[in-house]
Amino acid sequence: MLKLSITRASLSVFQTRRLRHIHCSTISCAPTQVKLQTPLFLRPPDHKVTLADLKKWHLWAKNISSLVGSRFLDIDNGPDSTLLHRELDWFIEDAIEQPKSLTEDNYNMSLEVSIRASLDDLYRLWNQRIEERRPFQYIVGCEHWRDLVLCVQEGVLIPRLETELIVDLVENATKRNAELKEGVWADLGTGSGALAIGVGMILGPSGRVIAVDLSPTAVAVASYNVQRYLLQDTITVKQGSWFEPLKDCQLTGIVSNPPYIPSSHISGLQAEVAQHEPRVALDGGADGLDDLLHICNGAASLLKPGGFFAFETNGEEQSQFLANYLTNEAKCFYGVEMTSDFAGIRRFVTGYKKE
Amino acid sequence: MGCSAVRDVIFVTFYFCWVQWERLLSRVEVLSLELNKPDLWDDPVRAGKISREHGSLMGRMKEVKAFERELLEHIDMLKLAQEENDQELETDSLMALLRMRRIVKEKELEALLSGEHDPCSCFIEVQAGAGGTESNDWASIVMLMYKSWAQRRGYGVTVVDEMPGEVAGIKRATIKVDGEYAFGYAKAEVGVHRLVRISPFDSGKRRHTSFAAVAVIPILGEGFSHVQINESDLKIERTRAGGAGGQHVNTTESAVRITHIPTGITAQCQNERSQHQNKSSAMAVLQSRLDQLEMTRLAQMNAQHTQSLTDISWGTQIRSYVLHPYRMVKDLRTNYEVSDPDSVLEGDLDDFILSYLSASLDKDEEN
Repeated sequence: MLKLSITRASLSVFQTRRLRHIHCSTISCAPTQVKLQTPLFLRPPDHKVTLADLKKWHLWAKNISSLVGSRFLDIDNGPDSTLLHRELDWFIEDAIEQPKSLTEDNYNMSLEVSIRASLDDLYRLWNQRIEERRPFQYIVGCEHWRDLVLCVQEGVLIPRLETELIVDLVENATKRNAELKEGVWADLGTGSGALAIGVGMILGPSGRVIAVDLSPTAVAVASYNVQRYLLQDTITVKQGSWFEPLKDCQLTGIVSNPPYIPSSHISGLQAEVAQHEPRVALDGGADGLDDLLHICNGAASLLKPGGFFAFETNGEEQSQFLANYLTNEAKCFYGVEMTSDFAGIRRFVTGYKKE
Repeated sequence: MGCSAVRDVIFVTFYFCWVQWERLLSRVEVLSLELNKPDLWDDPVRAGKISREHGSLMGRMKEVKAFERELLEHIDMLKLAQEENDQELETDSLMALLRMRRIVKEKELEALLSGEHDPCSCFIEVQAGAGGTESNDWASIVMLMYKSWAQRRGYGVTVVDEMPGEVAGIKRATIKVDGEYAFGYAKAEVGVHRLVRISPFDSGKRRHTSFAAVAVIPILGEGFSHVQINESDLKIERTRAGGAGGQHVNTTESAVRITHIPTGITAQCQNERSQHQNKSSAMAVLQSRLDQLEMTRLAQMNAQHTQSLTDISWGTQIRSYVLHPYRMVKDLRTNYEVSDPDSVLEGDLDDFILSYLSASLDKDEEN
């Protein structure tokens, strides 16, 4: 079992290196090529429309959302009308300077309303949501995650609600042992920077987090989010594969939500994920464990004695496998535990490096 | 106009005085007797309490007497002005009377909203009675009535939780009403609200009766003692978890339900944009529910409060809204009624609320 895993892990290193190479070549040609998109809610409300036109758009958007019914839900567990209507409310919240003007009783239809994108864009964006199944978070350019609003765009994994709990796990660990607040933490595969920012806030002013991602887009977006929360003194964002940018670091803690979906499952995922989110952030190899095992092995050498780790997994089987691997095969960890998410799926594996 | 203003002032003042006056007098008498007892100071704590209450009641009596004197003076001046045909004096006296009427209104409200938790914000919950679509629709109409009422009063309104009915309306919903005295007013709405109308959901156009239950929970701010919640007593679940979760699923559905295992009390929230926020909103609801449970328990221990117990729990029918065969809204507690249901359903509830609050103040006086 162990041998097999290590082969898998080294294979994944090879794969990620190859990927990194491709990315590196693009970035070396044009290091500033990543174009950051300003999320809707941060754009100036420079566009004016009449209330009548806005209401017409709203009615249209409500209608095409209603027509979906449970179709997407039945096909691939996608959103149903109820969910799309709620997303539409949030879209309005982000797009209109005074969202209430749309819902309040107002009979002055020629009233001018300030919006943050042109009316054409509102039509285009909501059409993309329904017809192309473009994720809501890419449409508005942000995701509300914990008490944060994180900017996201195509090429960056949209942080998942399950992952919020990793920050709670870190908080609990630092409450039990305040020393964990000192020293350097790593967030491997940071994506939008969600975990790095969440953990950075828990650690407080003495904390240091290095956020690593292979994708230049993710690095750019994560850096932007770090700046938005004024955490540039706490968090450094580095480009590279897993532990590579951390050479010789002794880490106090490691958090990671690496790709863990088995390759064969990718094509069957709901359209929002399969057709729009970066495969590199989802595909964990044949059984989904390539990157998780690579990270576990790296943690064995880079984590300080007493250091803490928290990883997200695909669920029951992977958690069980990793907990067993970390305790019985890797032999340098203790206190290995599995924690369930709020859906009752054992989602997280945590533990400490032996002294 | 002059005459009606005077009548109003006299009426309101009369009312304001007599609500409290008789009780005030007898209480002062009792306290004076106590104060004159030679062994009063054997128990200094009790003596302090008695002398403080006596002092405060005497102060209130003085205030009322001064108010009465001022009122009579202004009325005399007004009479004089009319006899002498002194326009300027008449205007001045009228203005003074109008100012006094405003003060009286404020004082009256102060007396009505003097409960310990009245100044708090609150949650309002509406639950549809049995009866399917028609009663789900009624529940959503009631919820809308409170949203409009709260907005009219300038309160902040946020939907915390909403469970839609299968065809229309809601099975249950919770809103948070933010603002001073939100609980003080809204508590008058606790109970079962009954609707009689021809149901738009009945193809046979028959008359239906449906019910919706309303609960109001104060949100105790800082300075109140809260029930301590043990993290380990909580079960937190996603209410609509689908499939494998994690990276597999991109969903904006992040509702959570929290169950407090020892009491079985639950709270859920689904309208926030992150699971973390849904969880903290649900925690706030849970905290308020547990606080209310504790208040009920304390009240039960105190026999004096058993009277008001029924006011806290859902249950008794308090108001009837009839749209057919005639049109009327009638409060069954106060018999206050209006013949324009539309305005009430659009949130014009203040008269119902105030009449109930004054009636319950009167009832307290009698006890």
